[in-house]
Amino acid sequence: MSESTRIAAWRWGIIFAVVAVAESAVRLGWISSFFLAAPTRAAVVLWEQIVHGNALWLTAITLLEIAACLAISTVVGVFAGFLLWRYKLIGGSYEMFLAALFSSPVILAYPIFLVTFGRTSAAVIALSSIFGLIPIMINTKGAFQNVNPILLQVGASMNLTRKQLFRHILVPAVAPTIFSGFRLALTYILKSVLGLEYVAQVGGVGMWLSDAAFMFKVEEVYAGLLGTITLSILFLYLINRSEVLVRK
Amino acid sequence: MNNSRKSRTLIAAQLQTPLGVQALTLLLIIAVWELIGRTGILFAELFPPLIEIMRSLWTYVTTPLILPHLKASLYEVGGALGLAALFGIPLGILWGSRTSWLEIVEPLILYAAVVPKIVIFPVFILFLGIDVHSKLAVGAIAAFFPISLLTIAGMREVKQVYVDVARTAGAGAYQIATRVYLPAIAGQVFTGIRIGMGAAVTGALLAETKVAKAGLGFMIVEYYGQFRIADMYSLLLFIFILAALANWAMKALFARLSPSARASQDAGMYF
Repeated sequence: MSESTRIAAWRWGIIFAVVAVAESAVRLGWISSFFLAAPTRAAVVLWEQIVHGNALWLTAITLLEIAACLAISTVVGVFAGFLLWRYKLIGGSYEMFLAALFSSPVILAYPIFLVTFGRTSAAVIALSSIFGLIPIMINTKGAFQNVNPILLQVGASMNLTRKQLFRHILVPAVAPTIFSGFRLALTYILKSVLGLEYVAQVGGVGMWLSDAAFMFKVEEVYAGLLGTITLSILFLYLINRSEVLVRK
Repeated sequence: MNNSRKSRTLIAAQLQTPLGVQALTLLLIIAVWELIGRTGILFAELFPPLIEIMRSLWTYVTTPLILPHLKASLYEVGGALGLAALFGIPLGILWGSRTSWLEIVEPLILYAAVVPKIVIFPVFILFLGIDVHSKLAVGAIAAFFPISLLTIAGMREVKQVYVDVARTAGAGAYQIATRVYLPAIAGQVFTGIRIGMGAAVTGALLAETKVAKAGLGFMIVEYYGQFRIADMYSLLLFIFILAALANWAMKALFARLSPSARASQDAGMYF
């Protein structure tokens, strides 16, 4: 058995052990099924919701919200980040402010967004876009700032026009760092969208979880949780894979 | 004439500094805010006069109105941070102490860290009820990941050569732990605790906005329900100031305790 197979086996073993303990605890009556649903039962409920219920539709809503946030954050963030780099005084003045905003619990301001946009997906998108915007802006500014000047000098010595310098030297040089910001943004957007859907009870998967909890449908709560965790893990996996591809 | 030109040049020069731009931006925001609020051209109810917000903020600072809620939130955040550190640091040390364990466990922690912790809140409500403890648990689980991951990062930074040198010099297990490992990981652990505090604040207060009997998050939603927008803004401002002060105090304390403390750049994505 190769080293990587052994590690993977251990990893799956840990997951299986945790699931088995939870399953046994419920089936043997150690924990009441009022508090904890058996993992197999939660999986069955999730499957039923996918096939007969509206889990797919809710997932589509969540994915649409994430896509909208990402589009807004990327377009505005890259442009604003470029401006922050281009105009040094503005960049120097606002970078600290952006970092402070990012580390403060801005998500608690969600009622303001509910008042502005109503209890709709627009409120979730507007607030979650802020979480995507800031890392993209900061990373874009940093990416342009850290371009090796020798690359630009080489371009200039080859008589490249400003447009060619931008297209053939600046863009390839800044792409990996901007992508790191993009990855960071996507992670924050995912967490914010799912969290806000749950708290504000709007949108997709998060709302489903909230509704199930409100009605004390324990099996559905765990099914929703399973769906949310699966979605988060799938997202991180895809982000990591796409980063590997970009860096290649 | 000459003097006034000089002072104008001086003001212009001062405005062209980051501090000048920041001050100018603040003034502009205040002016736009008041303009929108007073003319009512756009969501007038969302832009109450700033004086009203400041008056409300002053009430929080000078009267005991907020005290029971502040106490509930501080209990949740403090308890959450304590619990997260209690489990996060030893587990981080344990996982980080062997490469083989780290290879098995790290991806699991990284994937679990991305899941928004607030969605686990209904499970905590089932087990712990709607009192402070369910909020404390959300905060604790939110803070656990930055603390354990940064402890692992600290352990990873300890070079084997340091341990070998200490061993060659005759150091025992205790001395290696306190003289080699502890100073090497302290900076990362402190950073983890600081980031963990932010995560705990967000987790606990966000949970309070969902279901609670007391707490600052609970107050936000109460004001939102009663459409007391100025009070809601001032409370948010109060929370932001409090969080910033706590963050600054922790940074200053840890800088004194560990001269090598530094922020981790990439770990932020998981919290």
